[in-house]
Amino acid sequence: MSTDVDIEPATAQPAHARRSSVLRWLLTDRVALLIILLVILLVWFRALSVGDYLLAPFDATYLASNLAYFVPTFLLAIGEAFVIIGGRGGIDLSVGGTVSLVGIVFGYEYAFWNWPLWLAVLAAIAGGAALGAVNGLLIAVLRIPALIATLATSYAYSSIALTLHNSAPISTPRIQGLISLTGAVELPGLPAIPLQVLMIFLPAAVIAWFLLHRSTYGRRLYALGTNETAARFAAISVARTRFTAFLLSGALAGLVAFLTVAQFASAATDAGTSGAGMTLPAITVAVLGGVAISGGTGRVGGALLAALLVTWLNAGILLLFNNDQSSKLQLFALGGLLLLAALLNFFIGRFARRIR
Amino acid sequence: MTTLRPQRTEQPRSWHSLVSAVEGQELVLIGVIVLLWVGLGVGTPTFLSGINIQNILFSVAPIALIGIGMTAVIVTGGIDVSVGSGVAVVMVVIGKMIEDQHIGLGPALLLAVLVGALLGVCNGVIIALTGISPIVVTFATLNLFRFLSLEIFGRGNIDGVPDTLGPVGGGGSGRFIGVPNAWWLSVLIAAAVWVYMRQRPSGRHWYAIGGDAGAARLAGVRVRHRVIAAYLLVGVLAGVAGCVLIGSGGTVQQNSGTGLELEVIAAVVIGGTSILGGRGTVLGTLLGTVLVGTVTSAVTILKWPSQLANLFVGIFVLLAVGTDVLRERRRRAL
Repeated sequence: MSTDVDIEPATAQPAHARRSSVLRWLLTDRVALLIILLVILLVWFRALSVGDYLLAPFDATYLASNLAYFVPTFLLAIGEAFVIIGGRGGIDLSVGGTVSLVGIVFGYEYAFWNWPLWLAVLAAIAGGAALGAVNGLLIAVLRIPALIATLATSYAYSSIALTLHNSAPISTPRIQGLISLTGAVELPGLPAIPLQVLMIFLPAAVIAWFLLHRSTYGRRLYALGTNETAARFAAISVARTRFTAFLLSGALAGLVAFLTVAQFASAATDAGTSGAGMTLPAITVAVLGGVAISGGTGRVGGALLAALLVTWLNAGILLLFNNDQSSKLQLFALGGLLLLAALLNFFIGRFARRIR
Repeated sequence: MTTLRPQRTEQPRSWHSLVSAVEGQELVLIGVIVLLWVGLGVGTPTFLSGINIQNILFSVAPIALIGIGMTAVIVTGGIDVSVGSGVAVVMVVIGKMIEDQHIGLGPALLLAVLVGALLGVCNGVIIALTGISPIVVTFATLNLFRFLSLEIFGRGNIDGVPDTLGPVGGGGSGRFIGVPNAWWLSVLIAAAVWVYMRQRPSGRHWYAIGGDAGAARLAGVRVRHRVIAAYLLVGVLAGVAGCVLIGSGGTVQQNSGTGLELEVIAAVVIGGTSILGGRGTVLGTLLGTVLVGTVTSAVTILKWPSQLANLFVGIFVLLAVGTDVLRERRRRAL
């Protein structure tokens, strides 16, 4: 797997070496692998659709409308990417609990206290950041292992959320009105895409890309995840850098909380934790996107493609089978993809060493 | 963690050293549990009643059983987040076999252990042979096992399973001198694993691998075998736990076992096992599960919102790990 800290040799290479390095890139670069998988997926389901095997056409309109599920998946996966890249076993198990807690508090603010929308959304992001800061404090400052600290706060956040509003969802007319924010927009020459793709996904993706790949903070985070001791000797504030990663993960979860309330027109006390929850899929997508659990590796583009792959695969499965069967197969697809990606990495790593 | 702790590898040779085998975290836990039990016994009329203690011990027995195996896995520096789905697979298979084939208690337990072992070996082999991070592998198998259990589940319901598993269940037939058999089973298995991990060389190898897998390999430990064995153990015990869960109600639901992995990991960590590997005991895990059960029961008896129980579990996890981190720092400062 290539990392961002690799420095490409600038000298000219003989032709056979260049050919093998192209092969190596295709095989070892996660982005290349994900693009190949995505193309296979689209071609396969398109063929099924043309052959009339699906319940509804698998076309651009359908793919575009499913981007509504892609946005929260991507945002949470990016949050996980930040904390995992920071290294030392970084992981955030509390994003589901954060989504639940921030979502229900947003419901109070917007439905009962009649806050203006911009203030309530800002409060959701700030609230998520505050919950993330609690994680950051426990992990970066008190140096409690991230797996345990976020397991504990996940319990705490989801349990507090459940005790609010007697575990009942908040769904007043004002909350229901939010669904208009997730309506489709028509762009010339493109199928109608959900509004949040433009309003939330695009800015978030650009900011995340800039932070990780073009800012001093990103370089510090990769340095920290690659070798913490070296980072400390390079005068990087280890605690502050790691703290910020958890704060960002919390803020993104806060944003997802608002998005979930708007999308489902209801603030549920178990929004992020019901069923399989949001946490495990988020980590799965991040890892599938090439974020190495050992830290120091991972890119925004990989997480984006992985989220897209999972979203459209789920969308395809929904058309292939009836509802009961497809929810099962989505689990299978998620687990299978993750294992496949990890195993491919393992075998390709061996193979790449041989042809190097 | 690569810190060497030679005092922990000593073999207890006398009664005195056997007493000192009860480590710091365990003494603290015993203290906390005694305090809670005395406080709740004085403060409420029902807490210290026989039936309530029985309920506590029975309700945490599945967590204790899986926790024993999870302790071994975490001591090797791994983790298994797929146990909840593994339990679901076992419950669906055993529930169907009892309902449709009317198999008896012995065959049911044996089959459960076999199915659990198979799932555990799947995890263990992938992790040991490829070196992929355990959390990634078991996240993947969490989804795959859940798919498998839903696939076997099929349509309709599995309820009214005959009371074949009553002897390990929560009913009246599942007790011996007033204590649920499931709890006896947990204590027996815990004792066996405790002795194994303390006394047997292959048990010590788990600690060695968790301390430094590379060093353990150079010292002649068959790391892959031992890692697979740890995941096998947690799988087997998930199988037993599945039987206990069926025995307590006779129903298997589609979401059976969801989230169980987090409860188990919480209990193991409260019990003083280091998530970084190399340190932890089964006795601590057992005490951790009792503490979790006590808190859950206390919240119910005090008529607080039942969802608050998880908040306290979270706080106890942080307290346990926090004191551990502080103790570790003091030890290094010395």
